[in-house]
Amino acid sequence: MRLPPQPGEQVDRSRACVFTFEGKPVHAYAGDTIGSALFASGQRVFSRSFKYHRPRGLLCCSGSCANCMMTVDGTPNVRVCVEPPRPGAVVEPQNVLGSLDRDLLSIVDKVGRPFTPVGFYYRTMIRPRWLWPAYESFLRNVAGLGRVDKHRGRTTRFDAEHRRVDVLVVGGGRSGLAAAREAAARGDHVLLVDENARRHDDEPFEIVAPGRAVGIYEGGLVPVDAGSLLLRVRARHIVVATGTVEQPLVFPGNDLVGVMLPDGVRRLIRDFALRPGERAVIVAADDRALSVADDLTAAGVEVLEVADLRERDVARIEAKGRNGRVRQVLVDGEAVDCDLLVASGSPQPAYSLLAQAGARVSYDAGRGVFVPTELPPGVEAVGRVTGELGDLGPPRACYGDGGFVCVCEDVAVKDMKRAIAEGFDSIELAKRYTTVTMGPCQGRLCHLGAIRLYAHEQGTGEAAIGTTTARPPWAPVTLGLLAGRPHEPAKWTSIHHRHVEAGADVIWTGAWQRPHSYGDAPAEARNVHETVGVIDVSTLGKLLVAGPDATEFLERLYPNRYGDLKPGRVRYGVLSTDAGRIMDDGTVARLGDETFYVTTTSTGADGVLGWFEWWNAVWQLDVEVVNLTGGVAAVNVAGPRARDLLARLTSADVSSEGLKYLDARHGHVAGVPCLMLRIGFVGELGYELHFPSTYGEYLWDTLLERGADLGAKPFGLEAQRILRLEKQHIIVGQDTDSESNVLDAGMSWIAKLEKDDFVGKWALEHAKARGPRELLVGFEMANGTVPPEGGQVVRGGRLSGRITSARWSEQLGRAIGLAWVPPDLAEEDAGFEIRVDGRLESARVRLRPFFDPEGERLKA
Amino acid sequence: MSELAFVSPGEARAEAGFSPRVASPLARALDGADGLSDLSLLGKVEVRGTLDELPAGMEVLRITPRRALVVCAPEQCAEVLESTSALALDMTAALAGIELEGDRLFRRLTDLDPSALPAAGKVAGVPALVAGGEGRYRIFFPQEYGHSVVEAVRDLQAGLA
Repeated sequence: MRLPPQPGEQVDRSRACVFTFEGKPVHAYAGDTIGSALFASGQRVFSRSFKYHRPRGLLCCSGSCANCMMTVDGTPNVRVCVEPPRPGAVVEPQNVLGSLDRDLLSIVDKVGRPFTPVGFYYRTMIRPRWLWPAYESFLRNVAGLGRVDKHRGRTTRFDAEHRRVDVLVVGGGRSGLAAAREAAARGDHVLLVDENARRHDDEPFEIVAPGRAVGIYEGGLVPVDAGSLLLRVRARHIVVATGTVEQPLVFPGNDLVGVMLPDGVRRLIRDFALRPGERAVIVAADDRALSVADDLTAAGVEVLEVADLRERDVARIEAKGRNGRVRQVLVDGEAVDCDLLVASGSPQPAYSLLAQAGARVSYDAGRGVFVPTELPPGVEAVGRVTGELGDLGPPRACYGDGGFVCVCEDVAVKDMKRAIAEGFDSIELAKRYTTVTMGPCQGRLCHLGAIRLYAHEQGTGEAAIGTTTARPPWAPVTLGLLAGRPHEPAKWTSIHHRHVEAGADVIWTGAWQRPHSYGDAPAEARNVHETVGVIDVSTLGKLLVAGPDATEFLERLYPNRYGDLKPGRVRYGVLSTDAGRIMDDGTVARLGDETFYVTTTSTGADGVLGWFEWWNAVWQLDVEVVNLTGGVAAVNVAGPRARDLLARLTSADVSSEGLKYLDARHGHVAGVPCLMLRIGFVGELGYELHFPSTYGEYLWDTLLERGADLGAKPFGLEAQRILRLEKQHIIVGQDTDSESNVLDAGMSWIAKLEKDDFVGKWALEHAKARGPRELLVGFEMANGTVPPEGGQVVRGGRLSGRITSARWSEQLGRAIGLAWVPPDLAEEDAGFEIRVDGRLESARVRLRPFFDPEGERLKA
Repeated sequence: MSELAFVSPGEARAEAGFSPRVASPLARALDGADGLSDLSLLGKVEVRGTLDELPAGMEVLRITPRRALVVCAPEQCAEVLESTSALALDMTAALAGIELEGDRLFRRLTDLDPSALPAAGKVAGVPALVAGGEGRYRIFFPQEYGHSVVEAVRDLQAGLA
């Protein structure tokens, strides 16, 4: 039932829509909220409380409290008092068993309360431990808010948008609008954010409404929740005009349906033309709240009593109800029958955003509220949030010894008193122990009440109690909005599509997606041994180190020497940390006197680049480090026919004399400018071709087409892993970890400790003096079982090492691997056991490469 | 051949029955895309050191006082590389690029200030160099992220449609 048209009402009675609530149709006007339409339809109970399932009705009507939270079209915890209805929307109550009016779980309130005081879950339900999952499941089912439907999948698209403005105004009340207009008149770019959906027409600035400022972060970043869009606003100047939040009074029965805050009552009448009750009582301590009597009278509500708490020293207020709805109010024992109790404990400036930005907050004892002071630069407060509140007086902490301090979390007066008695005597501890201020209202409606209660109980005064730390979010925000669009950037080489077209199974290696195999890894490995294989190694990190000090730079970074590396030659390099541990490996080719081309592992490229740039900044050498990784494609052509294939494509001399093992040569291959590195990670004659990535597909296609009759086929990572293991070549990160040092990994030959200095030298000297703790060695299995990578090395029944790599080598007809073992085991033919599926299998140490130990095929 | 020829697509040549085909890293990703143009095959040269000797009439995106990206026609790369005594590197193959239209699209892609371009920063989660303004933006980023950036841009376009 609606009142006659009200001046300025928000509803448009000429347009209507229908949604369903608990399966029944509800009519709404345009401009209604779901909450106002439900109220008009006669609904008074809007939710069941968090813990005790007490019936709750409209309280603030401004989207602050949790009293009207419902599930709308599957989205839980929607505050229907500010949510516009959509035609056909499905609105359901939450946290109830049955219906809102008859919730079977309300038995918790009737018989469970003595057993569930504050913190009961810390003291009960501890034994037996095996029942923990049952306890958890039980508690989650009988308490809480709405549920997320895990099976619905994504239903909302969330986006984020970055905004830069001169002035951001938070709050679209009178003061906020005035500040925005003034800034706009100065010519500033202004953005105004308002929590209410109301339209401000014809303003000379942009308005986001409804939009909630979630917080103020470092650097003045203000995320604004605009529904399914998160605005990340950076403003030179932030104007906070968040006004005040009316505080509930604390008295027995203060959570009954029909106990409301004055502004909520005003909204029902003025915006939605609704009569909030028939017979009303008003208790308040400020003029603005008391003046709601005029609105009520005009709406035809009988105002039976107005108690001004400043003039009358009221000691006790009690609301009594039936079926959860208020029907009588006793003010100091004087009973008045009513169905609406408008109760306000003063408006509290909504200072939270200001405090987050760094403002101080002080207690104003004369008026009984906290006000912001000492604002940080770039932040301004205007309007009622500054403490311009008119005439108001401090009400008592409590009127009687019952009632709820926090309606969101069902924290009662006796819970707070009990917390003090248990020693949680500061307000910050009260927050953590009782969860007061931690509910969906984020303390908007319970912060001041909790402080007043603590001050009263401890006899110290509110100023001494202080406030809890203001933190984001100032308004609840959905996780989906914070997460935004799912997007995980993957790196693809310029040849990636060819691998997919060839049917490769693609796996993640770091940020790269690479072909694991093209269907048959052992056959791919065999092809490399027998004819020629090609593998896309564009993922290798590639750095150019150039400048007059380039040699000096590398000498200091690497344990081995580069000063004597001749232009046109390549050398293996391993990078050591300050602690002598292996951080990465690769090759270094000298292209000229002052130019080196460094390759790194695929996943180590970014780390090595950062490492080089860091040391370059420290040493201040005349050298530049440039990342060429993506611009240069690389293909390794390997196998006994590799030279034949290459010779078909280039006029450069690729004979065994013209391009020797560890040579680097420039030349055109199939017309593409290439750097050819003759190296051999996979153990066969091989050439790594480096060339502009824009020719990736072309050169890959050409190699396979022109090499088809030679047997050229692609091979993937798995085949490469088998091949390199046959040579006992390590993979950093697979065979080494953050503890592995250069000497113990079997590379003492690379650490030139006689050099003046290099990163990690000091640590390696100590490691050498100390002797190895464990060493990386090759091994082969006695019976051909392939042990699990990460498996245990066992000697004499004791755990004494670990497997890092293991594969079946078809070429050798043996199961081979690499393992860390104690130094005394690191001898040719030493025996140990490996745990495989609970059994112990025998293995023997092999110190030399399993395949081509003299490198004859490699250097052919 | 110069020691850095293997970095320059412009050094490719037709010879002995071979005619190298250049391919944009975004060719597939941009298939059927509206309002996005491919800048990947433009010439791009990174210069480190003095920026005073660069040839006139080319777009220079300054990253720091001693570091810049020169954007030019592909065939002009060699001229830029030879024009300066500073370290100059052909980044034509390393950087993919797109041009897109729309301020809102741009604001959903990056937190870079559209009124303070060119600038370096993250676009669609990857490191990028951005030029333009006034509703039209040119974005250069590592080519290995090409498909990923285009996918994000097209997804955001769909969200704005």
